[in-house]
Amino acid sequence: MNISYAIEGRHITKKMKGFFLDIDNLKIPKGFATALIGENGAGKTTLLNILAGIRLDYKGDLTFFGQYSDEEKEDNGTVKNRIGYTGTGKYYLPQWTVKDIENISKLMFESFSEEKFHRYCDELAIFANGRIDMKKPNSSFSDGMKTKLMLAGVLARDTDLLILDEPASPLDPLMRDKLCQLISEYIQNGNGEKSVFFSTHNISDMENITDYAIIMENGSIVEQGFVEDLKEKYIVIKGDATDTEAAGKILYTISSNPYGFEGVCLSENLEKLAGMKVTKEIPTLSQICVAVMKKNTRIVMR
Amino acid sequence: MQLKQNSGVPIYQQIADSFRTDILAGKYEQGEFLPSIRGLAKDLKISVITTMKAYEQLAEEGLVTAAQGKGFYVNAQDSEMIKEQHLRKVEDSLTSAIAAAKIAGLSGEELKEMLAALLEMDEQ
Repeated sequence: MNISYAIEGRHITKKMKGFFLDIDNLKIPKGFATALIGENGAGKTTLLNILAGIRLDYKGDLTFFGQYSDEEKEDNGTVKNRIGYTGTGKYYLPQWTVKDIENISKLMFESFSEEKFHRYCDELAIFANGRIDMKKPNSSFSDGMKTKLMLAGVLARDTDLLILDEPASPLDPLMRDKLCQLISEYIQNGNGEKSVFFSTHNISDMENITDYAIIMENGSIVEQGFVEDLKEKYIVIKGDATDTEAAGKILYTISSNPYGFEGVCLSENLEKLAGMKVTKEIPTLSQICVAVMKKNTRIVMR
Repeated sequence: MQLKQNSGVPIYQQIADSFRTDILAGKYEQGEFLPSIRGLAKDLKISVITTMKAYEQLAEEGLVTAAQGKGFYVNAQDSEMIKEQHLRKVEDSLTSAIAAAKIAGLSGEELKEMLAALLEMDEQ
C-alpha cells in the first residue's frame, strides 16, 4: 500500500503545568479518516490545537500536505485555506449572528460559498422552521446546533483536510450517523486527496468510518495503526473460571468474575493459550481502544 | 451484499467473498473496473481501509489488478485454472479432515456420514 501523509510531525513537545505533550512521530495518512482517541486530559485537544495553528508555542517539526512546514502554513494563506477546523463550541464568538459568521468566513477563506453554507444549514436542519434566520446570534444555539453550524461553515469551503475536535460529543445519535455520512462523502469526493482527522470519545459511533486510529495516553501516542491491522494484532478472548489465573499471565488485559474471564490477547501470544478452552472474537475498535487505554491508564480499574 | 457485523468473518473477507463469487460467475467483464474503494466504502457505510483490504486480497488471488490511481479492474478469468485451484483446495481440506478424524478415532464410514450430513445442511 502506497501511503502519503496529510500531516507528519516529529518530536512535537509542549510543556505545561503538570502535563507534558511528547509526540515522537505523528502521521496522518492522506485520503483516509483518522480518529484520535484517549482519556480526558491525554492531550488530544492540545495536539489538535497545535495542528490547527491555534497554539504555536510548541517545539518540533510539522509538515503539511507533504511540502509545507508549520511556518509556511502560518505565512502562506493557501495552506490554511486547505484546512478546515471545528472546535468545542468556542470557535465562532457568542455575539456573532449567522450573518456575521457568513461574512467573516467569506472574508477569511477564499473558497467559502454562501450557497453551500445555506445548503448545509438546510441539510443539517439547523433552523427549526427550515428558514435560515440570519439575525440569530451564535449564543442562542444549543451545543449540538453550534457544532452543526461549525460543520456547515467548514463544509461550505473547498478544503483538503478537516481537523475536528470532538465533533460527535454534543450531537444526537441520528446526527452522529449523519456526521459519519458527511465524513464519508468528503473522503469519497477527495478521491484519495482529502483527509479527516478527528478526536472522539464516541468510538463505537465513529467506528465504521475510521480507517486509522491514534490512541494517546498521558501526552504520548501509545498505539496507532490502520484499523484492519489493529484488528489482527489484538484478539478478544473469553474463557472459563478455571483458566482465569493462567490466562491472566498471558493476556494483554483481562477482567474476570466468578464464572469466567474476558480479555484481549496480542495475536503473537495466542499460541500460549493452547490447552485452555477459550473462544476468540475479532475485536471492535472500541474494545481495542479500551484495552490499550486500560493498559496505560492511571485510573484504578476494578 | 449482506454484511454481518458479528459473524466472526471479518468484514473485508465478506466483501472479498462476495466480489469473488460475482467475478467467478462472470458478472464482471474482463477489464471492467470494480466500484471505487472510497465509493464502495461510502455506499456500504464502512471504512475505506476495509474495502481496500478486500480488493487487495482479490488482487493477491489474481482475480483483479490494481491500476495506479484508477482502481481495480477484473482480470481475464481462466476458468480451467480456477477450477483446478479449487479442486486442489478441496483435496487439501479433505486430507486435513482425514488426519483430524484419525486423531479423534473416527472411522472412514463415520467421516463419510459426517460429510453427507454437512452437505445436506449446506443445501438447506
